[in-house]
Amino acid sequence: MALRLLWASRVASHLRISVAQRGFASAVLKDLKYADSHEWVKIEGNKATFGITDHAQDHLGDVVYVELPELGHSVSQGKSFGAVESVKATSDINSPVSGTVVEVNKELTESPGLVNSSPYEQGWIVKVELSDAGEAEKLMDSDKYSKFCEEEDAKH
Amino acid sequence: MRSPRTSEVWRLGTVNYLKSLKIQDKLVSERKAHQIPDTLLSLEHPPTYTLGKRRTDHNLLIPQSQLTKIGAELHYTQRGGDITFHGPRQAILYPIISLRSIGFGARNYVETLERSMIEFASMYGVKARAGNKCETGVWVGDRKIGAIGVRISSGITCHGLAFNIDPDLNYFEHIVPCGIADKEVTSLRRETDALLPSEEVIHKQLITCLANAFSYDDVVWKEDPSVILDTKDDE
Repeated sequence: MALRLLWASRVASHLRISVAQRGFASAVLKDLKYADSHEWVKIEGNKATFGITDHAQDHLGDVVYVELPELGHSVSQGKSFGAVESVKATSDINSPVSGTVVEVNKELTESPGLVNSSPYEQGWIVKVELSDAGEAEKLMDSDKYSKFCEEEDAKH
Repeated sequence: MRSPRTSEVWRLGTVNYLKSLKIQDKLVSERKAHQIPDTLLSLEHPPTYTLGKRRTDHNLLIPQSQLTKIGAELHYTQRGGDITFHGPRQAILYPIISLRSIGFGARNYVETLERSMIEFASMYGVKARAGNKCETGVWVGDRKIGAIGVRISSGITCHGLAFNIDPDLNYFEHIVPCGIADKEVTSLRRETDALLPSEEVIHKQLITCLANAFSYDDVVWKEDPSVILDTKDDE
């Protein structure tokens, strides 16, 4: 777990954001927004980059396949746009924002494991041009998301 | 204290593969809308080969045109996993479960499915184990006895597990099962000397093992399968 926090701190300083130092296993980065289906999004002006969170990749197991959307594809907040496969399970990934796909992370085709090893950096999945910047208000900030993860994990 | 958790179980007998997909789609929507509790479908399929989302049809070793000759269908699906065979005397369970209600991710879910099958096998004195990394499923030694292929959308599961009771294992000769080339497929019949009870009893035992593994407080056995089998949209 110490290793995780070390990694998270390195990521954080590279991204110039701060890490929420909590006792549980997954890393949550401040300055990102989060959906309750465990996707993170980084919004920069009219563009957004997103992927799945550390909590999500930990609960999925080793990712062996990522289904990426086509460029130009429309995504809607809360709706599925692709999927990942791990341990013989395909899990839909939902888009945390609405917009048009302008770039996908082609590295994931050869190296789907990047989603596990680097969920916030090299494991990014999609970049979109936002159609509704106001939608980000519906997402959780890092504190809310950390709490959300704690509550989910307490269920079993 | 957590609130009590209920599962409804439907025992459907032999169901055509496409029909079972339609039934699952409907149940997944209803589960997502909180109209039904977690639901478990227990059934068998007529001889059917299925592929997962990655469409690994290079693992089908006979031409598709030959399939009708051997009395089998082929279907492409959205589940995880590679190619597999379903047929008579193979017990299938399709759990439609809200993973978010129990705070489970894919990994916990699949591990629990594996544990259910291992527990069931042990009832017949068969020592089964979960697969190694990249070999999800349930094994007796190097022989695969139970397969898993799952789909999770908005946290609701469908597809599930298939446990070989006494299927015609020759059908597995026409595929590279689960994409794993050098391993055998086996069945409960092959691995135990114990007398196997009726199909009905066997299916009930497997269901009970799964219900225990998922810690359901209450299991409701639905009596009339025609309620979900007779869907109006039978195109």
